[in-house]
Amino acid sequence: MSRRRRFPLLSYLLVVSGAVLMVVPFLDMVMTSFKGPGESGRLPYRFLPETFGLANYRAALTQLNLPLLFRNSVTVTALITVSVLLTSSLAGYALAKLRFPGRDLVFRLVLTTMMFPPFLFFVPHFLILSHWPLAGGNDLFGRGGAGLTASIVALAMPFLVNGFGIFLTRQFVISIPDEILEAARLDGAGEFTLWWRIVLPQTKPVLVTLALLTFVDAWNEYIWALLISTADPDVMTLPVGIQLLQDHVDPTRTMPVVMAALVLSVLPVLALFLVLQKHYVRGVLLSGLK
Amino acid sequence: MTRPRRGLGRRHFALALPSALLASGCAGRHQGTGRPGDPIVLTLLTHYSSGVLRKALQEPVDEWNATHDRVKVRTEAVEFTDLLTTFMVRQAAGQGADIIQPYCLWTGQLVRAGVLRPAPPEHAEEIRRGYSAAAVRAASAAGGVYGYPTEVQTYALYCNTRLLRAAGFGEPPRTWPELEEAAARTTRRDGYGNTLVQGFGLSVYDDSTTVGQTLALLNAAGGRFVTADGGRTALDSPAGRAVFELEHRLVARGASVPGVNVYQAFPSGQVAMVISAGWWTGSLRPLMGADYREVGVAPVPVPAAGDRHATLSTGFLLGVNAACRHPDEAWEFLRWLNADRTRVRGGATVTRMSALQAAVGSLTGRADDIRTLLGRGGDPNLRPFLDALAYAVPEPNGPGAQQAKTLLRANIEALWTGQQSVDQALRSIRRQVDREVARSW
Amino acid sequence: MVNTLAPETTAPATRRPQRTATGRDRARRRQSAVAYLFLAPALLFFAAFLVLPLGFALLLSTSRWAGFDLSDIRPVGAANFTGLFADGSTFLAPVLTNTLLFALGTVALALAGSVLVATCIDKLRLQGLWRTLYFLPMVTTVVAVGNVWKYMYEPGGLVNGVLNALGLGSVAFLQDPHTALPAVVVVQAWASAGSAVLVLTAGLKSVPGTYYEAAALDGAGAVTVFWRITLPLLRPSLLFVCVTQFLTGLQSFALITVMTKGGPGNATAVAALEMYRQAFSYGDWGTASAAAFVLFVVVLVITLGQLWLFRRRGEDT
Repeated sequence: MSRRRRFPLLSYLLVVSGAVLMVVPFLDMVMTSFKGPGESGRLPYRFLPETFGLANYRAALTQLNLPLLFRNSVTVTALITVSVLLTSSLAGYALAKLRFPGRDLVFRLVLTTMMFPPFLFFVPHFLILSHWPLAGGNDLFGRGGAGLTASIVALAMPFLVNGFGIFLTRQFVISIPDEILEAARLDGAGEFTLWWRIVLPQTKPVLVTLALLTFVDAWNEYIWALLISTADPDVMTLPVGIQLLQDHVDPTRTMPVVMAALVLSVLPVLALFLVLQKHYVRGVLLSGLK
Repeated sequence: MTRPRRGLGRRHFALALPSALLASGCAGRHQGTGRPGDPIVLTLLTHYSSGVLRKALQEPVDEWNATHDRVKVRTEAVEFTDLLTTFMVRQAAGQGADIIQPYCLWTGQLVRAGVLRPAPPEHAEEIRRGYSAAAVRAASAAGGVYGYPTEVQTYALYCNTRLLRAAGFGEPPRTWPELEEAAARTTRRDGYGNTLVQGFGLSVYDDSTTVGQTLALLNAAGGRFVTADGGRTALDSPAGRAVFELEHRLVARGASVPGVNVYQAFPSGQVAMVISAGWWTGSLRPLMGADYREVGVAPVPVPAAGDRHATLSTGFLLGVNAACRHPDEAWEFLRWLNADRTRVRGGATVTRMSALQAAVGSLTGRADDIRTLLGRGGDPNLRPFLDALAYAVPEPNGPGAQQAKTLLRANIEALWTGQQSVDQALRSIRRQVDREVARSW
Repeated sequence: MVNTLAPETTAPATRRPQRTATGRDRARRRQSAVAYLFLAPALLFFAAFLVLPLGFALLLSTSRWAGFDLSDIRPVGAANFTGLFADGSTFLAPVLTNTLLFALGTVALALAGSVLVATCIDKLRLQGLWRTLYFLPMVTTVVAVGNVWKYMYEPGGLVNGVLNALGLGSVAFLQDPHTALPAVVVVQAWASAGSAVLVLTAGLKSVPGTYYEAAALDGAGAVTVFWRITLPLLRPSLLFVCVTQFLTGLQSFALITVMTKGGPGNATAVAALEMYRQAFSYGDWGTASAAAFVLFVVVLVITLGQLWLFRRRGEDT
């Protein structure tokens, strides 16, 4: 009780100033997105724009092919999220509740996959995708064509299964009482029905968490998307498109436009996060338990 | 699986081709339908991605497409900073363009990687005959010619004649001592020590300023970056030391402020002199308007009066991808663009490439063409760059040239920002670059 | 990070007596088949996108491959690895040292900040709100984070605006080789502090209040309580934060790609970025793969080192 005795002024001061530090860059992004030509970068620095015009947002819409970028980002994110949820849940159920030879081995393998950092795979993934047999004009030996690198599938491919996702769902499925499953089996339900009817509904909270973690990561992914978009500009995602605009046009003039595009691209994730933040927070904490 | 249909609207596809041709399945996206009778579509990847450059290239391409039924050419562009990565990544992805326009610096790397196809004998002959030796050497690797030299850049000294006159110099400096004196006398600072005008712009903004002007000075001093066989650095020499000491003195005296972007500072009258390439005239003219009158161009100063002129030349070439399925057609297009002569506005008979480059303020390796075009009312400031074609030293283009250049740039920046002394910089460049260029492949 | 949890065995379901032994066998076989069917997508994926790439990367790291045709791969033994550490190579210094400094700086800054904030948050109202605010950068794309900060560091940006308002001169943070690395470290720490705060707050919640009451009875001051009780009891959370932040710091190059591309000079060149460049700009797949493996070993050693250190310190107390 003693530690909540009085109004902790110092703590408030510290936490609030820290929070301001966290939020100010976002506010600066929003403010800059309204600044007029010649207004950003002008000395002395001013936080507030002179007027709140929407010209930069209009410019962002015309200079960037935002509909295409959005469509690609949404497609990739949806592909990854759905796939991670499905594969994690199926595998998690098998590892938690089904008895089969080699189960421990498979589980250990799943844990091991979490050990390898993504940078190890950039080069081999790209080369494997481009030499994928019988795809994109390739022959049986992966020669002659583009393989899978020339499709939106390539963007999602390396992220479709997630070892952590399998681990997470398994830990949750374990807590489902065996009696429920056994009773359903006696009623003649197959394993697929069990998974669909019992496991999925029972693990909904963890699936929401996993979906949110996956969604945020997939939406924000930059390096792999940059690589694939270099091979095929048609599959460019939002972060890559905006960065391209940033890199190549006179920064003093385009910065407000870039900021406007960033605001548009950050908003969906931020909104989703704010609505579902409890689940997200739990996901981060759970990932601390592994 | 078949390739998903590609959206074409945003690709500025200038040709009126039946859309069925573009929706074709497994044949690569640039190969057309492959059906007999349908045209072959060749893709051309370049960095002429915006503004006048894009338009200048598109004009002859449109002309070709309008007059040729069997072979069509489609241009694709990325920014220069992404160009090398785009070549490499697309090639690895089996999506390399049929015709590419790489920077000559990369010739060796692209040949080693099997991206560029050697020019067929008749084209190689045509190229050797039609261009200056430096341009041919820049488009060659290991003795073979790999493409038509297109844009050629030489380096010279840009001066703000108003600032020079105000400091008492009627003429641009000819020697290094004159350069140093002019730089020192044109430099101005305010009461707080902030530089208002720097005498000589040394900018870490990009390769072209950092490495380009250092190598131009090095060549002017009779030095070389790498040995003739390309196997070792030659920078750690009296000439190299002299260049680094000159730059070091300029920075130490405050006549150069490397943090400032000279591409912005020079046009606004905050820099008296910069060494840069000829293309810059094309962007300075519209940018400076009437003030462009004050811009003068002179050959890169030499260490002492009476020394022979020399400078750096860089450039681009148009070559055919080793993976291109219609190489004969591609080479034929390149010959049409680069070697066939046509009558242009004003009555001169030059190649389409020369007309294109002159229109955007650049040069080609065909000095006669350019001289003809400049004689008909071109920018007089381009003349020194044209004259330099005769004595310029091409940038080395061995297999590790880009890496060597990147290493050189990092060390020059370290020298300018005071992180390395002249000795340290020379030694570390020798060690780093030697290791890079000497690697056996 | 791998956990050593052995899979818990599920309690065997009670079998009904009327089932025959053969029926049980059949059921078991069926269950095995179903299990592998359920696992098939994941296992196939790991085969194609984990085992195969690892083998391929290992092959590339011991080969020289200049081209794009698989038949051109030439074995060169350990040449790519020795090349990375040869005289004149920039891999060890500055690239690898930059990588370590970047990771170390990030961890130190994020850890110090988040311990401070987490212990303070624990005493406040509206804890959820504060935590959420600290969390915003975590869910924002690196392109946004990088560009916003890059802009804030510019002469006409917010940071220099504040400096000028305080009467200080402007600093060209990202253009000056002395300040570029610290400047990106600050951004990385800023972006990753949120999760550290979160994990540490959760850790604090699990500290029993009785410890503090006992300390209060002994008349211990706030600082003593923090050093003698809070920090030691937070060890598991601290370990987690340390290890994960170090992991991220060592391999992250998206932020640097966005903000500085490794420059000025080599001031912010880090190992993963160097690997990316070697591969996709220079087409030197062998050196790129070798660099990736070296970085992997560094990551592994540092992670295991931290685990060992924390465990030993844990036994000491």
